[in-house]
Amino acid sequence: MKAVDLEGLTIGEIAPLIRKKQISPLELTRRYLDRIKTLNPALNAYLAITEEDAVAAARRAEREIDKGNYRGPLHGIPFSIKDNIATKGVTTTAGSKILADWVPDFDATVVERLKKAGAVILGKTNMHEWAKGSNSINPFYGTSHNPWDTTRIPGGSSGGSAVAVAASLCLASLGTDSAGSVRNPASLCGTVGLKPTLGRVSVFGGVPGTGGYTVNHFGILAKTVKDCALVLGQIAGHDLKDPLSSDEPVPNYIKPMGIPVKGMKAGIIEGGYFDEGLTGEVRRAFDEALKMLKTLGMKTQEITIPHMNLVPALQAASTRPEANSDHDRYLRTRPRDYSPGLLYGLIAGLLIPALVYVTAQRVRRLLCQEFDTAFESVQVIVAPTLFTPAPTIEDCNRGYIEADGKRINLADRAGNFLTRYTIPFNVTGLPTISICCGFSSSGLPIGMQISAPSFQEGKLFQVAHAYERATEWHKRTPQL
Amino acid sequence: MKDAVRKLNVEYRFNLSDQEIDVVAKQAEEAALLFQPLFEVDVTGITPLTKIDKRVKRTVAIKKGKK
Repeated sequence: MKAVDLEGLTIGEIAPLIRKKQISPLELTRRYLDRIKTLNPALNAYLAITEEDAVAAARRAEREIDKGNYRGPLHGIPFSIKDNIATKGVTTTAGSKILADWVPDFDATVVERLKKAGAVILGKTNMHEWAKGSNSINPFYGTSHNPWDTTRIPGGSSGGSAVAVAASLCLASLGTDSAGSVRNPASLCGTVGLKPTLGRVSVFGGVPGTGGYTVNHFGILAKTVKDCALVLGQIAGHDLKDPLSSDEPVPNYIKPMGIPVKGMKAGIIEGGYFDEGLTGEVRRAFDEALKMLKTLGMKTQEITIPHMNLVPALQAASTRPEANSDHDRYLRTRPRDYSPGLLYGLIAGLLIPALVYVTAQRVRRLLCQEFDTAFESVQVIVAPTLFTPAPTIEDCNRGYIEADGKRINLADRAGNFLTRYTIPFNVTGLPTISICCGFSSSGLPIGMQISAPSFQEGKLFQVAHAYERATEWHKRTPQL
Repeated sequence: MKDAVRKLNVEYRFNLSDQEIDVVAKQAEEAALLFQPLFEVDVTGITPLTKIDKRVKRTVAIKKGKK
């Protein structure tokens, strides 16, 4: 096998080498499995390593490619899957005690599509309990650790997936995002994280109770924008098993990358929503990113979303009753198998009146229309992904961080403050990508979100790829 | 709110302590305050959003608002 450095590797670079038989999928898979064995004990990114299946899939890929049956850019590519996405024959815990022994007899549609594309699944990744939080401090399976500083959280709930990508324990990972659970860990671990449009990717096979219905998305964590685009091209599209999936045609997502962004307008939401809690380091990195977009020929414009302040209420009013409809049976039978904090939240959720839920869905539509109106004058919207670089595990346990001489609580009336910047794009279902836009003085990654109108993921890829090409942030790797 | 939590405690057999009932009731009260502003929004003519479809046009209310 041609010598390759796993740390610098991307799907975009390696796929052509696999196709030309210069890289062996089997050897590549074995190298990732070895690396997982070495690093996973300290990082706790994977809950299950499916070595036998992975080797068998890689061997099959190699055989097919040798015979000239190359399936496409994911053929022979090692992936990981968040543990709330059903995998046939492999334990799917959702990071919970309740599902500790659940082995699905079916694959989620996204897993089925990855397998069809010839991908190699290395294992299942750790996550926040039931995906109901964003620090991946899991009382049952242990905390996933940020590879840039193992005393810090990786974010979540797809924390293990972000760690696996950032630490080069796979080339890409599938996660879920109902409040920022792909973009948040992507930002804190310095990877790219894509949440597509609501309905763009089937959520059939997502563990019920880990994301609700109206704001939940399956997403992709990878090292580059192009890698996200390559994966999306394979997993997107209508699915009869998911009534909320869209029948919008799946375009070629690679095509827009490389098209100049000169003249495009990036909207910045005014009114202070994204100023709440914003730390100086993130503000500076974001301002520098805006300067870079301007250097690339883009313009920025302030935009107004009149009901922006209602986003936290809309998110909570949507997800809590929806989650409870799935948790009700466990609340009745196994309440003490939830961590206490989650149990209290779920019980409080039982007290939300139906009127709140339905009203929220109506207001949510209004908010979506306000974003649609904003997109008449800009092509994308940009915002920081989080207000802070990765907090320490200790910060999360005590409930606050200290930055710029202030104390910032990690929870507020709306619940989890770490998701404040990401939830507007869950409530609206808009496609949004988080990319690395700098590093803090202590060497921690900082993320920027780019959002586009529904089903215009291509625009995200165009702008994000242009930014990525003009900067070097994505080339940094953690010292492990 | 504490009474409502106590009722759930019996119905679901949570076996919550008084201290736990306080914690849950406080969270439920906070949530109720959070949701209050939703009822101040005029949603006349707005149907709930259940699926994103590019072909669905804006509501009359929004079109009027734009003018």
